[in-house]
Order: sequence, then structure tokens, then C-alpha cells
Amino acid sequence: MSAPSDELKQARNKLLSLFSCGETAEDFQAHYTQIVDEYFRRSVQESETGQTLFRDKRPFALLALGGYGRGDLCVHSDLDVMILFNSKVPSSARTLAEDLFYPLWNMGLDLGHGIRSIQDCLSLGGEKFEFLTSLLDARFLCGDSPLYLDLMERLARKLLAKKALALRRWLEEQHQRRMAVFGDASHLLEPNLKEGIGGLRDYHHLLWLAKAFFHVRVPKDLEILGILSHKEYEDLETHLRFIHLVRNRLHQDSARRNDRLTFEHQEGIARALGFKDQDGLLAVEQFLSQVHASMASVKSLHRSFVFTQFPGSRKNGSGSERSAELCAPFHVDQGEICFPSAVAILSDPLLLLDIFAEAAKTGRPLALESKRLIREFLHLLDDSLRRSQRAARAFLSILNSPKACDVLDEMLETGFLCALIPEFEAVKDRVQFDHYHLFPVGRHLLQTLRHLKTLYRERDLLLTDIFLDLSEPEPLFLAALFHDIGKTGKDHARRGAHLARNILKRFSYDRKKTDHVHFLVLHHLLLAETATRRDLNDEKIVVQCAGMVGTVERLKMLYLLSWADGRATGPRAWNDWVANLVQELFFKILHILERGELATPDASRRVKQAMAEVRTLIGEKIPPAEADALFDGMPSNYLLETSPRSIARHITLHEQLWADVARGTAGAFRFEAAAEPSSGTWEVTFLAKDRAGLFSEVAGVLALNNINILSARIFTWRDGTAVDIFTVTPPVDPLHTEVIWERIQANLAETFQGRLVLADGLRQKAKPSLLSWKKTLTRLTEVMVDNDSSDFFTLIEVFTHDRIGLLYRITHTLFTLGIDIRIAKIAT
Amino acid sequence: MKKLEAIIKPFKLDDVKEGLSALGAKGLTVTEVKGFGRQRGHREVYRGAEYQVDFVSKIKIEVVMEDELVSDAVRLIQEKAKTGQIGDGKIFILPVENAIRIRTGETGKDAI
Repeated sequence: MSAPSDELKQARNKLLSLFSCGETAEDFQAHYTQIVDEYFRRSVQESETGQTLFRDKRPFALLALGGYGRGDLCVHSDLDVMILFNSKVPSSARTLAEDLFYPLWNMGLDLGHGIRSIQDCLSLGGEKFEFLTSLLDARFLCGDSPLYLDLMERLARKLLAKKALALRRWLEEQHQRRMAVFGDASHLLEPNLKEGIGGLRDYHHLLWLAKAFFHVRVPKDLEILGILSHKEYEDLETHLRFIHLVRNRLHQDSARRNDRLTFEHQEGIARALGFKDQDGLLAVEQFLSQVHASMASVKSLHRSFVFTQFPGSRKNGSGSERSAELCAPFHVDQGEICFPSAVAILSDPLLLLDIFAEAAKTGRPLALESKRLIREFLHLLDDSLRRSQRAARAFLSILNSPKACDVLDEMLETGFLCALIPEFEAVKDRVQFDHYHLFPVGRHLLQTLRHLKTLYRERDLLLTDIFLDLSEPEPLFLAALFHDIGKTGKDHARRGAHLARNILKRFSYDRKKTDHVHFLVLHHLLLAETATRRDLNDEKIVVQCAGMVGTVERLKMLYLLSWADGRATGPRAWNDWVANLVQELFFKILHILERGELATPDASRRVKQAMAEVRTLIGEKIPPAEADALFDGMPSNYLLETSPRSIARHITLHEQLWADVARGTAGAFRFEAAAEPSSGTWEVTFLAKDRAGLFSEVAGVLALNNINILSARIFTWRDGTAVDIFTVTPPVDPLHTEVIWERIQANLAETFQGRLVLADGLRQKAKPSLLSWKKTLTRLTEVMVDNDSSDFFTLIEVFTHDRIGLLYRITHTLFTLGIDIRIAKIAT
Repeated sequence: MKKLEAIIKPFKLDDVKEGLSALGAKGLTVTEVKGFGRQRGHREVYRGAEYQVDFVSKIKIEVVMEDELVSDAVRLIQEKAKTGQIGDGKIFILPVENAIRIRTGETGKDAI
């Protein structure tokens, strides 16, 4: 017959490979425990030292401790065993230990062991609570069973009688420490299955307390002794089975004892457990949702157990009172809010909502029993109640209270939020499998609101200033709560905006404020996306944003929402670097909204209208997509200031120009002049591929031909087309205008091809004649440079007396200084 | 061997990255950085209160390459990162004494 250790090795490997195939997955721990038990029983039987000890009347018992004692062995759990003697530990015990333990170490198993007398156990247990709790889980393996019974009896009678309270306090401390170190695993995206709050440890704590205080021996006693209800125990078993299953997979995946369910393992485990992508949800997202649900359930069971069985551990237990601050019909018990009776809820189901409003108003927590009743009666909430004025009022009062987040947390946890606003159900536990989001959607929404509510604590004073400046923060709060509610598929912002509108309609919420919420949800990514993906020095882009935002009030809310949303998402989505960019964009939009006419709602409407007209004018000539690209590249002020007919004409000229350029024509340009009979002036249109100095050359050629420029507007489209529009005096000889325009066109071509040197011709012209000398002195030339009026450009204003060639000289000077002219306005 | 350090506008990262890989850069390092150039910081005023904005957010790309590649890489970054607007950034070229691949101990060209 093979050695016990060989058998163990074989059995363990077989079990592991069965587990990998998904068999024995559900009760892996039980199978594994059985195999190890078998090993110890056989080893003790076959150990010569063991037999000698019994013959010498030095009986001993072998006990399984800790997790092994509970029978909860996971793939890489460590094994805790102890050899127990009655009084003195004989020296040959060491040889026994070698017989039993060495083979396990050789196999690479993690083994903790001890050789102790009963008295050793009791004194060590009194000093170290870690040891005491592992003794509480002790299980007899083999040897002399009276020894084991004796230990357990004395443990209960002597040690626990004295130490139970201290043990409870220690467990409370441990719970707090775990919260600080591992966090609440029921909503972390990389939860620790064992130590996180909601993890297996919560169950262990519960079990230890039940063992120490209520003489529970095995978990099943929790139900038999009435500590948990049948349903609670059944749920607990189901959730523990799932968490253990995940833990076993995780151990196997990591090839070591690892309890933190990190991203790299999640997809594989989700697939191994049979989760499939469906309804737009990734397998891994559904998997994680279930992990969270199980852990949340363990967490809440542990909490309710501690609260119910050890009411003394509750804070602010101030006895029963019908406090004056509390509205009828609720009353306070031990500082917590209670329903008058279950019957009262049946006759007035909205009490379910009122009690939350009460909690928000007074800052008192709900009693455990109240929460139980809420869960019990959720089904009473029907559509007519959801539509009632009273529901809307109560909900808004909760939202606006300083305690809103704590209360909404409770509402989410009890399922009431989903009952009141069913749209939450689909996203509540939705996990997003990426590296940006730290929380599932439901939690993220509450977190976003929480950041807004605690904004005054931020170091960034601008946030507080903006917040205080809002005429009303309510739409912002609502938007924070709803912004990701459409996250059930693609285009979540649009979907969410639509849902938010429906919800608010149900509440008969103010129409104008509903529009704000709709806008905020729809565009909640606008600022962050634009700031990180677009050029903030491109005025057009900022103007487009400003156009979408429309008003300063909305901009302020959107900025705060972007900030809170980013913060609630996680450090990868929001950091100083991103914040900096978003703030820059905020100020640029603000300036445009406050100063400019470019982005007023009226301007946006006019631009839209103009584009529609241009589309009809150009008809089929240009495909719509191409036209859209052209519009997108046109500066905002160009679209605002130019008539649709001219724009359509420019588009035609633009096509011709670029056709020339494509053919390789050097110095290609388009030139047109048209009389404006109403004002007696001419409009000259000039298009060319933009380059430095172009404008000054055109101005120069006009001057050379004695054309006086009355005003000029120059634009650059994003594709590099310069569009210059001049209003000029009529040519001196009105009868031969055609000739003059042709000469100008020829001059332009010569200039661009380098055959005409403008400076020479103009110097000739600019010689002041004696007659005009006096007049030129009437105005001193004044030049002003303004860097503040625009976030994008420097403004140079030149006041001087008018003369032929002036525009050429100014623009030529700017050109030689390397300054690029983006917009020019000339008035005479 | 030379090291190129380019400070560029954040939204140009993808263009520059793709261009450099196509050019044959073996690897590059990207950092989110903040700083200022000729513009210095500026002051924003909101409802009478002043907020000093000292730094602008930019992307820094660092890439080490053989000397022959440098001029093409510079031209490429310039072309890809240029908007013509203010704040397009800068490129610095630094000599690199040596490079060592930690895993294999290869040095010089082979380690890039």
C-alpha cells in the first residue's frame, strides 16, 4: 500500500483536475477537507511514535483548527493542525510531528502546527485572540477524543466566560481595521474575497460570536437555535458557496493563496463559471455584479446580526423617545427611527418614503426593523404613488438635504430607490470592466452626488465659488444622480437624458429645470472629452462648445458635474492634469458666453439657419458629408457675418480653387468683383491657399490700382483656404470697370508669381504731395495691443489717417514681423 | 544615439505616436506633464476673485533612436503636432551616452 502522503498527493491532484473541469466545484472544500482528514488519520495510525505514545499511556488528540477546522479548505488555504496532550508534552511528540508534518511540507503545502497541552491552549487563547478564534473552530480529527471534549468544555466554561466581551470588542476593532485596509468589498472593483467587508471574514466573525455567546457548535446551529431565519441561513449558504467557488478559482488561477480578485483574473474566472456576454453586458461585468451582490448580502447579514444580538454596540443609543424634532407618526428607539406599525404602512405606503425624508431631516439612522419592513413592503409602491405630488416633494427634500447621500445610500441598499425610480434597477449593480471606473454605476451615481455635497471641503476654491453662484443647485443634484442612468448600452448619455426626462415628468417636475437636467445628462462628457481630445486654442471648437452650452448658468453646472463625475470615477479618469485642461476650457467658454456674440442661442440659431439655406443653394453640387466638413471648418464669425448666398458662392469658388491647386497651378487664386448698387460700393472677393503675407499683397495690388478699401473681412477656413472680402470704392473710371478689374487680376497673378514687386510701385504712389501734407497731420497715429480680450488672439488696433496703400503698409509690416493675421476689420 | 523629448498638445498624441511607430521608433515613453512656456501663467478672474493658473497640461513624449532617424523624426513630430496656434510645444534633442536592456544586458544600438 502506498504511503499516506502519496495518496494525499494523488487524491489532491485528481480533485484539482476535476475542479478545473467544473466538477466538484460546488463542494470542493468538503472534498478537499475529507482528503486531508484521511491523510492525518492514516498517518497517525501508521506512525510508530504515535503508537508508542498510546502504549505509554500518553494519549494525544489531533485537532484541525481555523479554516481547516471549519472544513473550509480552499485550493491554496493553509492547514492549521494541533497535537493536543493532556498536561505535559512528552519529548517524543517532536518525532510524531515529524512523521505527520514533514511529508506535507515536502509537498509544498502551507502548514501551521502546534504541540500543546490543554493548559497551554487556554493560557495562549486568553492572551491571543487570533488563537482563541482558531480554537473556536477546532475539530477533532483522530486520537483520544475525551481530550478534545475536555478542551472544548474548559474553553467554554473557563475562558469564554471571562473573555467573551473582550473577544467581541477585539472583533469590532478587527472589523474597523479591515474596513480601513481592505474597504467595502461589496462595491470595490477589485474586492478582497476574504478580508474585505462582505468577505468570508464577516461570516467568520458572525460564527465566532455565535460560538462564544450562543453555544453554537456548527454553522447549521445558527438556524436551529433561531439566530438566523431559515431564509437567511439558506441565502447565507448560497452566497458563501459562490464566494468560495470564486476564491477556489482565484487560488488556482494565481497558483498561490491570493484573495484579491484583481482585474487580470476576472475575465478568466467569469468565463470558467459559465458567464456569457448578453444583453449588452460583458460576461465579466455580470460576474462581478454577482460577486458584489453576494458580498453585500454577507455584509448586511453580519451587520444585522451584530446590531440585533449586541444592541449595546450601537452608537447613540439614547433610549426610547418620541422626539419633538420627529414628525408623526414616526418615533425614535435607541436613537433610530421606527415605523408606528406595519399596519400603518399598509394603509399609507408612502410612509416608506416619508421615513427616509425624516432620516434626511433629523440625521438619525433607520432602525433595523424599519429597514426590514421597507424591504417587506416594497411591492406596495405602484405607479400612481410614484406619480403623486407627495412622493415628488419628499424625494426632493431628501435630495436637497445635507444628509442626502447617506439617506440615498440606505434607499439604494434597501431596494427602495429602485422601487421609487425603477430606471435605477438596470444600472444599479452594473459594473464597467475598464480601468477607469472604481465603482459600479449605482454606487458611482451616489458618489458623484456626494462629491457635490462635500464640495466645500475641496482645496480648489473656484469650485465653491461657482457652486455658491448657482441660482439653484437642484438640477445639478438631479443630474448627478441620473447622469449614467442610461448606461445599459451605447450612447448612454442620450439614453440617460431621455430617461431622466421621463422620471422628472413622472414627478411633475418644473419644465425649465427638467430641461437643465436633460441638458446636463446629455452633455455630461462634453467638457472632459473636448478638453482632452480637442485643440483648446482653436476658437471654433470652443465656440461650438459654448453654442451647445448656451448659458453661463448651464456652463457652471456642467463644470461642477464634470468635476464630480470625474472624481467619482477614479484617479485614472480625473487628476490634476485633466482638471487643469477642463478648467482651461471652462474659462474659455465662459469668456465667449460672457463677452462674445458668437455663441448666444440666437447666434447658434442663425448659424444653423444660414447653413440650411446654403445647403439648398448649393443643391446637389456637393455631397452633404463634404458640405458638413466644409461648414465644420468655417470660423464661427464667418458663418455669422456672411450671407448664405455669399457662402454658397465661396464654396463654388473654393471648389474651383482647389481643383487648380490639385492641377499644380502655381499661385492659384479666385477673384471676383461685384457692384453693390444700393451703397454705390463694390464687393471684392478673393480666395487662395493661405500663406503668410497674402493679405498684404492683395491690399497692395488694390492700392496700386487706386482702389480705396473701405472695409475688409478676412477669414481662414480650417483646410487652409483664405477668404478675403473687401468693400471698396468704385474704380475711378466708372465706364471701364471691367478693364480695371482685369488689370487687378493680372497684377495679382504677377505678384504671386514674383513678376511684380509691389513695394516699388507703391513707394511711387505714397510720395506725399504738397497739397495733402497739412491734412495728414490732423491725426496722430495710435497703436494699441490688447492681449486680454480674446483667449485665442492678440488684438492690434491702429488709428491713423487714411491714405492709399495704408492697409498694405500695416499688413506688410505685420507680415515682416512674423505675425499671422486671422481677422481684420477696417473702418474709415 | 539621441533622445528626443517632445512637448505637445494632448490631443496630438495619437497622431505623433502613430507617426513615430511607422517611422520605426522601437518604443516611446509618454507622460502627462504640466508646465509653461513663453506665455507664462495667467490670471483668471471669476466674480471678482482671482485664480492664478500657473501651468498648462501637455503631453511629453520621450523616444531614443539612432542618429540617422533623428531628422526624419523631428520633421514628423513637427508636421503631426502642428496646429499653427499658440502652444504647439517644443522638441528637444539630447545626446545619449549608452543604453542597456536590463533583461539581456545588450547595450548600445541593440538595446534601443
